[in-house]
Amino acid sequence: MDPLATLDEALRSAGPMVAEASTVDEIDRVESALLGKDSPLGQVRRAMATLAAEDRPKVGARLNEVTVEIESLIHAKRRELQALEDAARLAEDSFDVTLESVRLPAGTRHLIHQVIDEVVDIFVGLGYRVAEGPEAELAYYNFDALNTPKTHPARLESDTMYLEWGAPDDEVLLRTQTSPVQARYMESHQPPVYIVAPGRTYRTDTVDATHLPVFHQIEGLAVDEGLTLGDLRGTLAHFAREFFGSRTEVRLRPSFFPFTEPSAELDVSCFICGGSDPSCRVCGGGGWLEMLGCGMVDPNVLVAAGYDPEVLSGFAFGVGVERLAMVRHGLDSIKNFIENDIRFLRQFR
Amino acid sequence: MKVSLRWLQEHIDLPTTDAAELAGVFTSIGLEVEGVEALEADWTGVFVGKVLEVAPHPDADRIRVCQVDIGAGPTQIVCGAWNFDAGVYVPVAVPGAVLPGDFEIGERTIRGVTSHGMICSERELGLGEDHAGILVLDGEEEPGRPFAELVELPDVVFDLAIGPNRPDAMSMVGLARDLAAYYDIEYRTPPDDLVTVPGDTELRVVIEDPTGCRRFVAREIRGVTVGRSPMWMRHRLAKAGMRPISNVVDVTNYVMLELGHPLHAFDADSISGNELAVRRASEGETLVTLDGEERRLLPDDLIIYDQDGPTSMSGTMGGERSEVGDETTRVIMEAASWDPPTIMYMSRRHGLRSEASLRFERGVDPELADRANRRASALVAQLSGGEVLEGAVDEIAAPWQPAVVELKMADVDRLLGPGLAADHVADILERLEMKVDRGDPMRVVVPTFRPDLTRPADLVEEVARIHGYDRFEARIPTGPAGGLTARQRRMRRITETLAGAGLSQALSLPFVGEPDLEKLGIEGLGLLTVKNPLREEESKLRPTMLPGLLNALRRNLSYGATGVHLFETGRVFLVDPDDEDPRLPSQPMRLAWVLHGPFGMSVDGRPSVESDGRVSLAVWRRLAETIGIEMRLVPGSAPGFHPGRTAAVEVAGEAIGHVGELHPEAARAFEIPGRVGIAELDYEPLLAEVPNVAGFTPSVYPHVDFDLSFRVSDDTLAVDLLRVTNAAAGELLESSWVFDEFRGPDGERAIAIRYRLRARDRTLTNDEVAPIRRAMIEAGAGIGADLRGA
Repeated sequence: MDPLATLDEALRSAGPMVAEASTVDEIDRVESALLGKDSPLGQVRRAMATLAAEDRPKVGARLNEVTVEIESLIHAKRRELQALEDAARLAEDSFDVTLESVRLPAGTRHLIHQVIDEVVDIFVGLGYRVAEGPEAELAYYNFDALNTPKTHPARLESDTMYLEWGAPDDEVLLRTQTSPVQARYMESHQPPVYIVAPGRTYRTDTVDATHLPVFHQIEGLAVDEGLTLGDLRGTLAHFAREFFGSRTEVRLRPSFFPFTEPSAELDVSCFICGGSDPSCRVCGGGGWLEMLGCGMVDPNVLVAAGYDPEVLSGFAFGVGVERLAMVRHGLDSIKNFIENDIRFLRQFR
Repeated sequence: MKVSLRWLQEHIDLPTTDAAELAGVFTSIGLEVEGVEALEADWTGVFVGKVLEVAPHPDADRIRVCQVDIGAGPTQIVCGAWNFDAGVYVPVAVPGAVLPGDFEIGERTIRGVTSHGMICSERELGLGEDHAGILVLDGEEEPGRPFAELVELPDVVFDLAIGPNRPDAMSMVGLARDLAAYYDIEYRTPPDDLVTVPGDTELRVVIEDPTGCRRFVAREIRGVTVGRSPMWMRHRLAKAGMRPISNVVDVTNYVMLELGHPLHAFDADSISGNELAVRRASEGETLVTLDGEERRLLPDDLIIYDQDGPTSMSGTMGGERSEVGDETTRVIMEAASWDPPTIMYMSRRHGLRSEASLRFERGVDPELADRANRRASALVAQLSGGEVLEGAVDEIAAPWQPAVVELKMADVDRLLGPGLAADHVADILERLEMKVDRGDPMRVVVPTFRPDLTRPADLVEEVARIHGYDRFEARIPTGPAGGLTARQRRMRRITETLAGAGLSQALSLPFVGEPDLEKLGIEGLGLLTVKNPLREEESKLRPTMLPGLLNALRRNLSYGATGVHLFETGRVFLVDPDDEDPRLPSQPMRLAWVLHGPFGMSVDGRPSVESDGRVSLAVWRRLAETIGIEMRLVPGSAPGFHPGRTAAVEVAGEAIGHVGELHPEAARAFEIPGRVGIAELDYEPLLAEVPNVAGFTPSVYPHVDFDLSFRVSDDTLAVDLLRVTNAAAGELLESSWVFDEFRGPDGERAIAIRYRLRARDRTLTNDEVAPIRRAMIEAGAGIGADLRGA
């Protein structure tokens, strides 16, 4: 046999053989036929030892050349065939991705708690802490410590739920506001005070579309040296923009609360229409939405807490969580919040 | 309070009449605008006419032919009404006029006589119900003047919500005064033009309760003819939302709206003994009030008596017995200064909140009593033809002083920021009619119509209010160091974990009905009770979270829901003193859940598992692992829980609640079909700080797994078997878990556990594992669990 001729012949026949292969299995067989022990190349490889010494380098070099060339033909073909086979397998292995055959249901946090956390986070970002207090509360903290006169109508049984508990001098009620947390916090902490206090509050109200006997408020309180009405306005404007959107405007209008002086109501501009739509479902065209009561902490409240009102000043606000949620989400009935209908709860992820 | 702009303009020349702009001004000075209503005349083409001549119709008996001057000489109008004669002034609808109800007026010929228009009745103009005759105007008017101007149309009515601190703003004059301060312009008060005749009233007034009644002014008006009040007054009252009644009663209401001081008119002849006495009521007394209701008086009620008994509820509502009626000829006009809290309590106790009580409970200026009385007496005399006796009663039982406040500029700067000049501050206070001695501090004498201003901070609010709340530079101060505490972060972690496990957070009203507690088998438990519940359902506070959640579950099922998984965190209320503040009842936070129906992942609509006690425990284990709580479960029972499917949970050696399944009887009572996984746990122990996890780097050496199946009795707990065998495995144990519980036909029970051992530093050999395995089998035997098949 002429090794060089054998090698040339092997190379010549390799092209068509490789081309004919149509599966990865076939190319494996072709590979073994072309490069295996019993292939012509294999025979030449075995015969190397028997060649004349002067022929050996030449034949060896040619053997390597041919081997590399055939390997590369096979490799390219195998990749091509592998890709075809993979594509066919994937095509067979597909499913309708729009079909929800496996479901992993999630629960939700209550919208009221989502809103509370959101508001809390806005104020935490301003360096506030979160304070808590009891719901069954002493009349002292709910009223007296907050500069509410003994004769204030809010103390009447028509407004406040009193409990059959406690000594006559220490009347216990279901707190009508989160403001008693202010009084408790100041009693046990030294200024500066920057807190928010979310929680449940109670009023003698019948359930209707806008009233619940039990609802949620977030109280805010800042007491420090040098806090002014401008600090209150800036802080609440920041809150309104973070909560309702960056274009939200606010206005303060004078109002009255026993525990603040000056007192104010905060209105926010309608985040839906900005006052441009006379039939707006949120603001009714007025352009402003009543949002919360606020003011500079009354000197009597500071004194009751043992703070010096000649040195310190502060501001406080109280916002209804249900109101925030209803306004922002366009809800028409406050009853949704206590009915625990999972269709309602699951809307708010 | 409803405020007619046209009426208000009588007292102040406003720089604008734009309703929106004025609403903005009211708002900015703290007078909340609840509504703005534009009033238009409901007609066109109606003018004032002077009836020049009235002649019979040549061809009809029941109608007359009138010559009426409507500004351009005599116009012939045929009229069927007989309640007027030549010389009076009337409203005339000219041809082309449109009256309410799209009633168009044209020229008509009636039995040969042409009528160039129509003389209108009150009803035809939509101004009232009177249709007995045409509307005859009260005095002389200018012929041809648009009739709408006489009833001040068009007009704008502002509905203002006046705060509890602003009695001064509950009148036209008071509002004009506040607006005048805002605009820095003048305002006008009504004339003080009382004309009296010589003579003293015989009425005596005795104030027996000087706390309740500071001042009592009474004037007697004789020769009164009670009738209708003039049109302008009736229409102003109507715009203010008050019903016109008679020329005497309307005057009291009118002056109240005008000056802010409520008044009451007595029929003088109905006052027995010519004496009015003010004192608190006695138990058992009754009074029939003006609305015809018989009121049972209570000891704190402040009452005006005559010699026959109660005759009026002070500052709230008069009595029927001394009411001014058609026959009244002698009137006592009363203006008294009542104690605000007394009126507030009395009016609310009796559900009688009147325009008068709304003002008195805020505090009416005692200085104003005589001024208002003079104004009202003068008007009654003018409108009813009566004469006012010169000698009036003015009893002052408790004198008053204006408040004097020392205001330092430091007070202003501290609350409003530096930047307001002292002169500007003083100017604003003076515009609000305070007397200011300039200086620092400035000495400010507060007018008696502002009882709310007693302290520097109160004056600072006035300065801010007139200066403009929104004109102070906005700043955002920040606290020294904020953030959530570890406890607060754990609360969020817990609720997020439960939501991630498929539970939705619920919020129930924290009340409970006793029947719902009985359904859970809870009886005789003391409940915290609301003294004054609005409804029975809101009288008892919940001692457990479960009824609220179970009711929510049932409601959801009734709407067709499947897979209802709810959790709630909140307080329960117990009749024990609170640990931290023993003056309060204990009100611990709880965490609870109810799980019903398919739970977790589903495949092609087939759930992996139906909710039950085991699922409930799985939820709890997931939660405990997530928040890093070391806990122990032991079989337990609690009211409402299934006795064989409930674990008591212990954390740090304390029992903190139960996790398991709803008792079938309770499920039946709550009308919930199927099993319900439930839990109720004290929340605080879950929020306690936990030690940090001591971490390790996982071993890379191969593991050895083997299974052991132990034969156990029914009262052997899986957890105990794991505990002893794990302990025997020693430190090489990586994990162990029960993969099967087998029950044979003869009550045989077996628990199969897979153990995995792995060393940190080497590959384990069989020789090493064999003695460990033997030790574990012995440990099982030690608690009566023999190796199965051994």
